[in-house]
Amino acid sequence: MRGMPRILAVCFALLFLSSACASSRDVIILLPDEQGKTGAIIVSGEGGEQILSEPRQAVSVKPGTAPGKPFRMPEKEVRTLVGPALEALPQPPIQFILYFEHDTARLTGKSAKQVDDVLRTIRERAPVDISVVGHTDTLGSRKYNYRLSLERAQAVADILTAKGVDPSIIDITSHGKDNPLIPTGDQVAEPRNRRVEVTVR
Amino acid sequence: MKPPLLGVFLLVASFVLAPGIDAAARETIGMVRSSEGVATVTRGEEVLQATPGTKLLAGDILGTGPDATLGVIFRDNSTLSLGPESNLVIQEFLFSPAEGKLGLLARITRGSMAYLSGLIGKLAPGSARFETPTATIGIRGTRFAVKVGTPGSR
Repeated sequence: MRGMPRILAVCFALLFLSSACASSRDVIILLPDEQGKTGAIIVSGEGGEQILSEPRQAVSVKPGTAPGKPFRMPEKEVRTLVGPALEALPQPPIQFILYFEHDTARLTGKSAKQVDDVLRTIRERAPVDISVVGHTDTLGSRKYNYRLSLERAQAVADILTAKGVDPSIIDITSHGKDNPLIPTGDQVAEPRNRRVEVTVR
Repeated sequence: MKPPLLGVFLLVASFVLAPGIDAAARETIGMVRSSEGVATVTRGEEVLQATPGTKLLAGDILGTGPDATLGVIFRDNSTLSLGPESNLVIQEFLFSPAEGKLGLLARITRGSMAYLSGLIGKLAPGSARFETPTATIGIRGTRFAVKVGTPGSR
């Protein structure tokens, strides 16, 4: 008689294990980004799909079935399931926009001061890749502006390398007047388009 | 005399041609930002230690051991991470906004991951997709996480 419960216990354990395996599922959780904004994802399985669009909305999908009903997952459970992955998610790249005086490769006073922020970010995030992209407003010809925006990008790269940044991690591109920040017609003076975009990633 | 010459020619040709083809077809799609514990990038037969700065190519398999994590950043400014004991294949990564070629397809086969969408998601919503053993995830934005093979009943 004393042996019976033990056998039963083993049976139950086996039953539990096998059912746990059979119901092994993938869990997908939508989360807000650093700014608190939540996007949307569409999860599809065999024969159905679910749209998640609210913070910490989650869905689980078993093999060969449609996704289950979305549910709100408590913060604690999110951390238990995917905490280490979330903590390892790198910060997205940081972008700086530096502005220039009209028809020159000379930074405006305000932007010249902002270079220190760029340098600090580069140091804090090292190792990094840096892209430096020059732009102009739409005054003048395409060819002229292509050269001007290249000079602007080069000027920024020169400032960074003079402060000790390794030139091999800087990628310089020139967009001329083709990619205005503020859309305007052709031949329009627009200070906000006379710029270099520095992305530290 | 003929066979050795042909052999030498082929050997030289493969050295001269292969890097060019390789570089054109397989450009860098991102790089490792952080890693802890045993994290690897598997490229064909090659298994590389994933350390900050390791460059990534389409087709790479990312892997982590027990207690390990890995964080990567892609050229479209999206970021991806793996928790411990995870495997993920980057099947496709296209980022040429000027030509309208945008896309990401990755498959997680075990473990856990998180993703924060970038320019591909912004410029071409729906062209970034992740697959798990049981589901496909289409991304409109912005941050989500996946755990593969969770026991339980919910």
